[in-house]
Amino acid sequence: MTVSDLTEEEDKWLEQHLPDLEEKSVENSVVAADLADRLLSVLSPEDQQALLMIDGEQASIKEVAEATGWSESKVKVRAFRARKKIREAMERLMGSKREVMSR
Amino acid sequence: MNDKHITELLDNTPLASLSVSELEQIRSHAHVCEPCRDAFAAAQLSAVMLKERAQAVTEPSPFFQTRVMAAWREQQATESVPALWRLWKSARTLVSSMALTTAALGALSFMVSAPTTTTNVMDQTASAPSAESVIFGQDNDDQLTYEQVLNTIYVDDEDK
Repeated sequence: MTVSDLTEEEDKWLEQHLPDLEEKSVENSVVAADLADRLLSVLSPEDQQALLMIDGEQASIKEVAEATGWSESKVKVRAFRARKKIREAMERLMGSKREVMSR
Repeated sequence: MNDKHITELLDNTPLASLSVSELEQIRSHAHVCEPCRDAFAAAQLSAVMLKERAQAVTEPSPFFQTRVMAAWREQQATESVPALWRLWKSARTLVSSMALTTAALGALSFMVSAPTTTTNVMDQTASAPSAESVIFGQDNDDQLTYEQVLNTIYVDDEDK
């Protein structure tokens, strides 16, 4: 995913949050959620489920394991893999955005 | 701490669950290592977005709204029917079965009382003076005349 794939609102949101990450005020939650959907689309539905429950809903590994019927180690592996993929996708997006902004 | 350690730490645990010392460790390393700084920034943004995504309210589909409105209208229509009629509709089976049971019980009690009357009539017949009681002077001695006694004896003898 690159900056050109983003909508105007998503692009603006990313631009606002790039310079100062210490201030994490989210003016437009809908835009953030939409952008999250775009990033999550690179994951399998199972990985999305694990990541949203753990990182989004603050569920424990045990709770996710009970809810999904997976083993705890499977939940950990899925969450680790999903978190890594999302972070890397976000890094690429941020890099591409910085390039555009520096021009 | 090298780059791999930081990214592993970032990917292993949600940012919100990291301890203060772990966060401090990450920050201090990210301060001197550019790739790790980018990784940390990306992890922070991802965490914010995922939280927003989890809190986002999903809009119901138009079909869901249609179904809810149809059910609501149906409920409204049901409520406009008089309460007594609705009560009758729900309880008519029970009331019918109770009426049938009462009728059956009435018929049964009538049938049971009928033989008792017959017995009383038979008892009255049995209480009439018999030949033996007349002969042996039981019960109604005072009420019979001498001729009645003789008649009873001789009529019985002639019959034999």
